Amino acid sequence: MLSVEHVTKKFPNGRGIFDVAFSVGKGEVFGFLGPNGAGKSTTIRHIMGFMKPDQGTVKVNGFDTWKEQGKVQAFVGYLPGEIAFIEGMTGKAFLDFMAAMQGLRDPSKRARLIDRLQFDVNTPIRKMSKGMKQKVGIVAAFMHDPELIILDEPTSGLDPLMQKVFIEIVLEEKARGTTFLMSSHSFPEIERTCDRAAIIKDGVIVAVKDIHELQSMQRKLFEVLFASEAEADAFAKSGLAIDSREGARVRVAVQGDYGKFLEETAKYQVRNLDVFTQNLEDVFMNFYDRKEGAR
Amino acid sequence: MNAALYKQMLKVKLKGFLNFAFGSAFYILLMFWLYPGIARNAKSIDELVRSMPESVGKAFGLANFNGSAEAFISGEYYGLILVLLLAIVCVQLSTQLMAKLVDQGSMAYLLSTPTTRAKVALTQAAVLVTGLFLIMGVTTLAGIAGNGWLLRGDYVFHTGKFLQLNASAFLLFFAAAGITFLVSSLCNDEKRAAGISGTIVFLFFSLDLIGKISDKTDWLRDFSLFSLYRPDEIIGGSANLAVNLPILAAVGLIAFGLAVMLFRRRDLPL
Repeated sequence: MLSVEHVTKKFPNGRGIFDVAFSVGKGEVFGFLGPNGAGKSTTIRHIMGFMKPDQGTVKVNGFDTWKEQGKVQAFVGYLPGEIAFIEGMTGKAFLDFMAAMQGLRDPSKRARLIDRLQFDVNTPIRKMSKGMKQKVGIVAAFMHDPELIILDEPTSGLDPLMQKVFIEIVLEEKARGTTFLMSSHSFPEIERTCDRAAIIKDGVIVAVKDIHELQSMQRKLFEVLFASEAEADAFAKSGLAIDSREGARVRVAVQGDYGKFLEETAKYQVRNLDVFTQNLEDVFMNFYDRKEGAR
Repeated sequence: MNAALYKQMLKVKLKGFLNFAFGSAFYILLMFWLYPGIARNAKSIDELVRSMPESVGKAFGLANFNGSAEAFISGEYYGLILVLLLAIVCVQLSTQLMAKLVDQGSMAYLLSTPTTRAKVALTQAAVLVTGLFLIMGVTTLAGIAGNGWLLRGDYVFHTGKFLQLNASAFLLFFAAAGITFLVSSLCNDEKRAAGISGTIVFLFFSLDLIGKISDKTDWLRDFSLFSLYRPDEIIGGSANLAVNLPILAAVGLIAFGLAVMLFRRRDLPL
């Protein structure tokens, strides 16, 4: 469906993307993870044909996205990372306009999406909040039933409830055979929808992995508050990776081996337990470090 | 061309076009309304103009007040104010139609639909030319109506020359719009596009103006596109329209063509 073939693009400031290669099969949801500025958006710009690669090609359904402008777009839906609409329109006017540009006749899917995302389409766009604009963008990307949907940071600006609705919509589309490429810097968002994910850092793909494999690599921090310092002492000697300690409060880093952590914790009286969801940079710090060490 | 985009863009920009068009029509009607009074006092006005330094009269087209209504209008409106007005329209509109969409990022939406960049650029160019055509068309009609309505045949008015004047002004700004549109198509930054194209147009305008002031600076006009548009000569009948107009049309076509071609091949930071 989508194949990025050794794309290199160097910008005058020395940054860019280097030999980026991956492919996404039909019906697959592919995550694209990386910290800000790693090259996610640049890669997506090449996929959309906004930029000419220095080397390599991007193909969607066999069409070169740079050389055959206009052909690829017929079966692609796109949600830009930074939403900017044409001025002076209401949400409805914008969606009507996009439908006309896409050659879309059947408005039923659009109506369903608007209903589920719950927003007032008649609001002028300049008065919309970030989240509301994001919803308009999501409707524009999905409404013409594209085969491939490219989403650049899709849930930014959405509240948790709408993030959940959005994930449901993605999963339903996936069940219908739609292919997705979804960039994000938030792991949980990718975790719930994607089959595979690529991790990009400084313009280089460091890994393309199955989502379960990535999950097992993820490091989580648990903060446990024990009943007494003596218990905390004993716990700290159990061989778990202790991140920090403060009286009876212990922070433990756990990666994959949740069983051992639970077993050790259960031996003592626990007053409170907190989990910290780490941002992507922290989550994969381990991974990056190991890579660098191996070199 | 993309019909949906053309329709939408025109809808957004139409109000601006009409403001300029009606402003221009109003001004030209005002001039027609004033004309009878001025024609009656032609002699004293002539003296007034002669009392000013010759170069000033020349630069602003006051010198050739030869007794016909279109000469008066040409001097009062087509020589300076209309030129400034259309220059502003060209710079502003071409910046809004291309560079602004790239700068803000809304171009990403246009290009994510099954249309090509060439079509998008061509459509935006068509919107710009439509705007100019509308403004000049309304101005021309207002002039002809003003003659029939306010002068009622009592004063000399050569419709043919008036039409030539309008056609020349339209083609001048077709060419100027081509250049500003080209700049806008190549810029990622809205302010930069407006700055560069504004500077170019202003430079053309000033070179032409300074060139007109004296014979010594006349050579400056050779560097200005605006020297191909000479309202005073059109009225005097000495203008070389057969050469000037095709050149203006060609400059415009080449600039628009280049804009579309280069926009197609450019990296866009969307």
